[in-house]
Amino acid sequence: MRQRAALVLGAVAAAALIAPAGAWAHGLVGRQDLPIPRWLFAWGAAVVLVVSFVALAVLWATPRLQQVQERRLLGVPRALEVVAGGLGVAAFAVVVYAGFAGTQSATANLAPTVIYVAFWVGLPMLSLLLGDVFRAFNPWRALGRGFGWAARRIGGEGMPEPMAYPERLGRWPAAVGVFAFAWVELAYAQRDDPSTLVTLALVYAAVQLVGMSLYGVERWCDRGDAFSVYFGLFARLSPLHWRDGAVYGRPPLSGAPRLSPVPGTVALLCVMIGTTSFDGFSQGTTWSSIAPDLQSFFADLGLASDHALEAAFTVGLVGVCLAVALLYRLGVAGMHTVGEHKSTEDLSHKFAHTLVPIALAYVIAHYFSLAAYQGQALASLASDPLGDGSDVLGTASATIDYQWITATGIWYVQVGALVLGHVSGLILAHDRALAIYSRARDATRSQYWMLAVMVAFTSLGLWLLSAAAQQ
Amino acid sequence: MTALPVAHAGHWLVNLLYVLPVVVVVAMLGWQSWRDRRADASEGDERHEGV
Repeated sequence: MRQRAALVLGAVAAAALIAPAGAWAHGLVGRQDLPIPRWLFAWGAAVVLVVSFVALAVLWATPRLQQVQERRLLGVPRALEVVAGGLGVAAFAVVVYAGFAGTQSATANLAPTVIYVAFWVGLPMLSLLLGDVFRAFNPWRALGRGFGWAARRIGGEGMPEPMAYPERLGRWPAAVGVFAFAWVELAYAQRDDPSTLVTLALVYAAVQLVGMSLYGVERWCDRGDAFSVYFGLFARLSPLHWRDGAVYGRPPLSGAPRLSPVPGTVALLCVMIGTTSFDGFSQGTTWSSIAPDLQSFFADLGLASDHALEAAFTVGLVGVCLAVALLYRLGVAGMHTVGEHKSTEDLSHKFAHTLVPIALAYVIAHYFSLAAYQGQALASLASDPLGDGSDVLGTASATIDYQWITATGIWYVQVGALVLGHVSGLILAHDRALAIYSRARDATRSQYWMLAVMVAFTSLGLWLLSAAAQQ
Repeated sequence: MTALPVAHAGHWLVNLLYVLPVVVVVAMLGWQSWRDRRADASEGDERHEGV
């Protein structure tokens, strides 16, 4: 048993050495004026995590987040939900129209910035602050509910009930959807082409409508709609919970332990962390030295140059997701050696929610500068969505202010997000361990492994942040 | 004979500085695990002798 423990500890360290984790490709990083070398931040972060771990072991003796009472804050009129859904559909229609009818320049057309910045980066941050706002504005959910309402009006009681959602599918459709989006963003050669992007958006919407018609709108949104699930996971960390026509208040993080550990949940979270990680890794020198060889390999197999590059990036994307999954699996395998020897599979599911704040930390650290700078472009793009020189809102001439936050300020936000995200992961893991282990001592010991995993994720994240800053 | 990539040693050393905290924490936790197991074993022995 001791040998196995040593083996797992060694493997965590080895994985940390070889695994390419989070990095920060899309950020516009200027000159940073830091008082200490960047690598010292990794040491500082490790100290913070260890101190947090000790503090949790000493001060947090009983589970506090497993069963939390929510407090009703205010009611939400049903009409507001309908209006929000209508706004979501209208916004979707405008983006699709802009993508087809507007200029095909990625920076002058509204569609790419809305999809890659407002939607993919802005909504996770908004979900943390305000809860699951996407659910209210989700255009395909609104359409699905609208179609359902119309069908019931026309078909009456004779409408067939949706099929039962297959349990073994779990969140796998969402995992595939998030991976597919990341593939388009990171590997697909036509990723910046507005008309291609909105065509893919329409295809995605059509798939969602089919899923909803088969399994019911709410069930499909909870499990199959990649974006609904993705933003919903981040919303679990929020102090606000929208449900049953009201907004409820709760302690931050307390929504995460309620995550049902259905099949595909761990895979989804590893994809979320892995794809963000690869985005950063692909900007670094290590990938730059590997990618040409991989591309040549696929070109030798007969692929055209751009497809060979796509294949190389696909291999990288899959590899990083698998590395993240391996790191998590090693932590769980270590936990298995402690105390009551719970099954690795069971532990893997029970601790899956601890990856949610890490995924969000990676998103914030990776994309904060993109949101901070490119997000401002939405003011001018909203006024000139087609890029044809129009000025609908009078803000077409708005420019991006690069001075409102310095490169050093961005670095501190990134480091802060990574550290906070991993400390949050430790808190969730500690609280869950207290709930499932009968002895507090075993609960704490089981978390040695999660601490090692968290320190590994943090150091790797900071390493890649640093690599991106030096590019 | 293959030349050693010493020209970029500085880069590699800086990268290692990011790995070191992980190694230190893992080593620390491994040592603590070993101590925990020893304490458990001696606790078990004492209980056994008491019986």
